[in-house]
Amino acid sequence: MEFETITSIGEHVMKSPMKTGHLWRHIYAWALIAFTIFPIYVVIQSSFDPSGSLASSSLVPTRFSWKNYAALFNNEAVPYLTWVKNSLVLASANALISVFVGAASAFAFSRMRFRGRKLGLQALLLVQVFPSFLALAAIYVMMERIYTVYPSIGLGSLGGLLIIYLGGSMGVNAWLLKGFIDSIPLELDEAARIDGASTPQVYWLIFFPLALPVLAVTALLSFIGTFNEFVLASLFLTDVNQRTVAVGLQQFVGAKFGQNWGPFAAGSLLAAIPLVTLFLSLQKYIIGGMTQGAIKG
Amino acid sequence: MIRFAGFTGTPALLLKMAVIAISDAILVSMLFAALAKDQNAMAGVIAAILLIINFVYFSKRTMPFKFLAPGIILLITFVVVPVIYTVLMSGFTYQTGNEISKKDALIQLIDSGITADAENTSFDTVIGKVDGNLAALATNQTTGEVGIATEKSYTPLSSEQFTRNEYGVAETANGFVRLSDTEAADADSALSTIKFPLGNGYFLSPQGLDVAVRVTQSLVYDEASDTIKNLIEGTTFKDNNRGNFANIENPDQKLEPGWRAYNNFENYLNLFRDPVVRGPFLKVFVWTFIFAITTVIMMFGVGLLLAIAMDKKIRFRRFYRSILILPYAIPSFMTILIWAGMFNRQYGAVNLLLGHQVDWLNSAILAKLIILVVNLWLGFPYFYLISSGALQAIPAELEEAASIDGASPRQIMQRIKMPLLLQILAPLLIASFAFNFNNFNIVYLLTGGGPTNVLAGETAGATDILITYTYKTAFGSTQQNLGLACAISMIMFIIVGALSMWSLRRSRVLENM
Repeated sequence: MEFETITSIGEHVMKSPMKTGHLWRHIYAWALIAFTIFPIYVVIQSSFDPSGSLASSSLVPTRFSWKNYAALFNNEAVPYLTWVKNSLVLASANALISVFVGAASAFAFSRMRFRGRKLGLQALLLVQVFPSFLALAAIYVMMERIYTVYPSIGLGSLGGLLIIYLGGSMGVNAWLLKGFIDSIPLELDEAARIDGASTPQVYWLIFFPLALPVLAVTALLSFIGTFNEFVLASLFLTDVNQRTVAVGLQQFVGAKFGQNWGPFAAGSLLAAIPLVTLFLSLQKYIIGGMTQGAIKG
Repeated sequence: MIRFAGFTGTPALLLKMAVIAISDAILVSMLFAALAKDQNAMAGVIAAILLIINFVYFSKRTMPFKFLAPGIILLITFVVVPVIYTVLMSGFTYQTGNEISKKDALIQLIDSGITADAENTSFDTVIGKVDGNLAALATNQTTGEVGIATEKSYTPLSSEQFTRNEYGVAETANGFVRLSDTEAADADSALSTIKFPLGNGYFLSPQGLDVAVRVTQSLVYDEASDTIKNLIEGTTFKDNNRGNFANIENPDQKLEPGWRAYNNFENYLNLFRDPVVRGPFLKVFVWTFIFAITTVIMMFGVGLLLAIAMDKKIRFRRFYRSILILPYAIPSFMTILIWAGMFNRQYGAVNLLLGHQVDWLNSAILAKLIILVVNLWLGFPYFYLISSGALQAIPAELEEAASIDGASPRQIMQRIKMPLLLQILAPLLIASFAFNFNNFNIVYLLTGGGPTNVLAGETAGATDILITYTYKTAFGSTQQNLGLACAISMIMFIIVGALSMWSLRRSRVLENM
């Protein structure tokens, strides 16, 4: 597996004495840690500061309260939980569907030989390098039209945003998954075929269970990507109850930076914790997926 | 021994039938909805999808496409079609004032192409109904003549047919039923578009419920010559092939609204020709490149040095690592917003730390600087991870051989490891450049593209990159120019596409398919 080489760093910490030749390494690491920690410290501290505004913030914690957290859940104008729910629904639906559909395409490209395969692969490669939001003006006009016929998947709806995301993540996911599937030994499906399995059976009974961990990682990457997506979401979701966390928090803090700072910090922290936990616990696989190209060169 | 049970025989067939039946039912109902709204292009796309699905899943010779069809359909409908749409829109005048079709624009022009008559004749009116049709009981303010105007005709009334109130205004008439208050409230907005014909080319145009004026159609469309004539001023307006009717003698005098019209790549030409468009575009174009190159170099430099520092088994390495990849784990839109708050002039944490009130976001240079710094914060962990991965991938034998030959650790790093490392990481550096070239979030959420000198008429801010500028061009608060935005999108497509193709050719991915 490609990623084992990367993660082996840090696995074995040797109890060597701190040599003077290594001093610069520690100084550099601590300097970067200070840089890294600074905003994280600020957001944690602000989230517990009862004044809740940027104006009275200080660098040293003076008071402690849960007020900012309470404000998130008791404010009609700030449907924080709805935003979180929208983000989770959107990101999970996109991750699951795009990986499910993408895996089938990747399987066909990786395991089958058919006319137009090479052309299809080249087209896929070309399409997946363009972020879908580059065509944002066209997407907007298109969805505006779709809205006139099918309001539930048109402009302003989560359903419409989902299908745009699905289209956008299809290329990347299919391409990424094809790389993974190529590395699953051919002998396995050949053996199954000799035992009389048809192509759909090979796919569902042999390949799918084998690829499940890889599919999960790809789905997770897709999930994180969608959770972070801002351009299309801000363009699409104008209704306050349809917003994702990204758009909701941006509009909330952007309107009155000073006053809403505390609840914003609390909201960010709350939404970040599950993602950071997920990321750190699965970092081995995520980093492997993200640095795919690096080692293959 | 594996037994291939499941997904065979009748249950599998039934499942397949059910899924296809449901998707067919949904698509057919969508098809009819599109046809009912006269959206023929949309109906065509849906019909094509419907045919493809049914052909692919019922034919026996389409096995690969049974796997490919859903992905291909999504990709084509929501990625390829928008790109084609972008190409089309980029060739059109499509902006505020030119958003509708020519047919709709003509209707609006003729509807609004009316002028009060020479005497400014006004009427006091009562709005009501005659035989169930909307009608106005009108009293001429100058002559006191009274008549009933309907959408079909005008009937003068003789004095026994109506009664006047104390101001001399006709209030009731035979066969005329006044609108109730609720009906009147509903009719109020509809009245602004209604014109009651008075004969001889004159109309009664209600100005609210109580007053109306006599107007005449001043703009007349002549279909044969595709011109609009202003009968009162005697001027002629001709289709200027750019989406407007323009005065023949004075082409700068255009009739509003216009329509979206093919304009011969004027959007592209204007990017280089028209100083109003060219100025901000060039500024943004240059900064986009500077930003993308500088930020990749900074992130790579800091990340690589960290990878080298952590390449030896030093104490606390695991601890350092788990802290230092945090920026990569936290959702980036949040940290960007947090940094934006921290750079607040009055209360931000950065100024508290410095003890000065530096106005970070209102200075072009400082704003550019903090974009680079914050992006460094977000990006160095990724480069640390890929650099240390690549360092590990370099065979240890190379290092051993070099040190036996008498090379110092520094020489080994500079002469052997670095060139190899750069070769391994080149595709990722290019990909990172492409990503940052379109890094909407960092610019939009941190500085909003600003500072922008609006008083000096600037449309682009100091930190705007092409993608945020496209966003502002297409969806700005005052002037929206979708055609121009699409032209800029096309230029970005070409840059990103060319860069990626070059990178792929280098890495020979294309040959190994």
